[in-house]
Amino acid sequence: MALIEIKNLSKIYGEGQENEVRALDGVSLSIERGEFVAVVGASGSGKSTMMNILGCLDVPTRGSYLLDGIPTHHRSERELADIRGRKIGFIFQGYNLIPSLSVWKNVALPLTYQGVGERERKARALEALAAMGIADRADSRPMVLSGGQQQRVAVARAIATRSPILMADEPTGALDSKTGGQVLQILRDLNRAGTTVILITHDNGIAAKAARVVRLSDGRIVEDQQNTPDELCPVGDNFSRAPAVERGD
Amino acid sequence: MALESIRDKKIRSFLTMLGIIIGVSAVLILVSVVQGYNADLTAYYEKLGVNKVLVSMTGYDRTNTTDQSSALMDWAEETLADRIIGLTPDLSTTGVLKYHANTSDTAVIHLGNEQWSACSNYTLDRGRDLTAADIKGRSLVCVLGAHVAKALFGYRDPLGEQLMVNGIPMTVVGIYYPKDGSAEASMDDCVLVPYTLNRRMLGSDRITDLSIKVQGSTQMAAVLAAVEDWMAENFDTATGDYTVENGNDAMQAAEDETASIQVVLGGVAGIALLVGGIGIMNIMLVTVTERTREIGIKKAIGAQRSVIITQFLVESTVLSGLGGLIGIAVGLAGSLLLGKLIYDMILLPDPWMTAAAFLFSLGIGIGFGLYPAVKASGLQPVDALRAD
Repeated sequence: MALIEIKNLSKIYGEGQENEVRALDGVSLSIERGEFVAVVGASGSGKSTMMNILGCLDVPTRGSYLLDGIPTHHRSERELADIRGRKIGFIFQGYNLIPSLSVWKNVALPLTYQGVGERERKARALEALAAMGIADRADSRPMVLSGGQQQRVAVARAIATRSPILMADEPTGALDSKTGGQVLQILRDLNRAGTTVILITHDNGIAAKAARVVRLSDGRIVEDQQNTPDELCPVGDNFSRAPAVERGD
Repeated sequence: MALESIRDKKIRSFLTMLGIIIGVSAVLILVSVVQGYNADLTAYYEKLGVNKVLVSMTGYDRTNTTDQSSALMDWAEETLADRIIGLTPDLSTTGVLKYHANTSDTAVIHLGNEQWSACSNYTLDRGRDLTAADIKGRSLVCVLGAHVAKALFGYRDPLGEQLMVNGIPMTVVGIYYPKDGSAEASMDDCVLVPYTLNRRMLGSDRITDLSIKVQGSTQMAAVLAAVEDWMAENFDTATGDYTVENGNDAMQAAEDETASIQVVLGGVAGIALLVGGIGIMNIMLVTVTERTREIGIKKAIGAQRSVIITQFLVESTVLSGLGGLIGIAVGLAGSLLLGKLIYDMILLPDPWMTAAAFLFSLGIGIGFGLYPAVKASGLQPVDALRAD
């Protein structure tokens, strides 16, 4: 059974009105456990809408979505929050860290919502930060870190929950190519360790790093192909590999 | 986490609390000041003497008044003896007191009998009080209030000295303890002379006013009724009129009045408190709007709606609770300070009022904090994330 399975999924804004927008228009897709999928498309192609729905951040107008074999529609808010917390880790373009919390508390935050005890929270947060190579900044506030460091904190937050799915929405969008490459390498390492990674991007070069590329245009899938990923060598880049990721589970 | 965001925005948090602080302290201070006023008033009436029945006769034929008064006194002494402490004619006038070069024209000259001091709550300090013999013999003697003794005689012992009361030489036989601060125009600024000098001092035999001091408040109704009955039976209303008054009524009326002042002032302060609460709501609305993105992030990483509501609720509860506590501290300090300055007494806010003000501020915080929190936490995570 596929980990993620969507059928005839549509998201329509202002349905029936003159300015109706079909962000997603009858999309079907299935993603297996352990895949590394890049969803690629131009701005306005519906890729962010797709991620929001796949991440249970938004609800489709129609169509079905099975996550791990369980339908997600008509779920209570409570159950959706629980699914987000336990099954999905998010990495956003803008990092989305909480400025008033220290780095390790940011990473530990999703664990708080799962009811993990404070000691274990801190241990797991520090472990995830160590895996990202920034354990030494655990007590800093996010604002004092560089963009690359902040994105690593965000990745650490996504992996601290040990969620089986990692969704990254333009994770390199705000980074220079070197640090962007590092973040991508981290995602690949996580994928090798068994995490299903869904990467949303507008950049074909980045999409080429994924084993499978799904191309969206005007709310429809126009291409879905397996890909032999390039090795991670961004053009003109002399970047060194990010520290190896060790999964706790 | 809620506490962290309060600590993060100290100035804003303080300004938010300021409304509650001012509201709570205003409630406490205003209410205590009114209570102080009330206590002051009660003290005044207590000094004046409580549990008195006051009989007053007006417009009556002269000779009859004298007869009626003596008849009333005779009757009362006989029938009410076990219920009353004393009974005295209670007349007064003003005039000039003169001792050598010292004069005073603020003193009240009381005309009473040997029970007058008991009826009027005066205690003898030195010398002797008036006696029945003084009354009967129309002796030219007087008892001085503490202020008169000090003002006219200074450090000299007034006992046995002679002073002029409205031009009549009188010998000082006693001095009262001060009971009202011993100041000019206070109750200590007085002199008592035998009421039987009324023809000489007032130019009339008439005894128009009588005071009966009752043993306790429980006896008041019985004595009042008995006196009223006697008056109704023996007083000829064709030629005059009379009133029988409960002396505690004036105190009661004054207390009622301060109670209504208290309600009005408490209401005004309550409005201040409400405005403070609206301030909290305003800030919470701004805070929540500002942090919609944060709410989106939290929801995205698995926060339940209740967690988010709780966070904002804790924040507003802590703000309003802390504001309430500081307000109580300010109110306490303000009450003590004003109590000392205005009434020279230790004035503490009423504990019930304090508890109520605190709970009210807490309730405002919870109520006004809940609304924006519920509103914000209901957003779809994706919509919340889009906010800037």
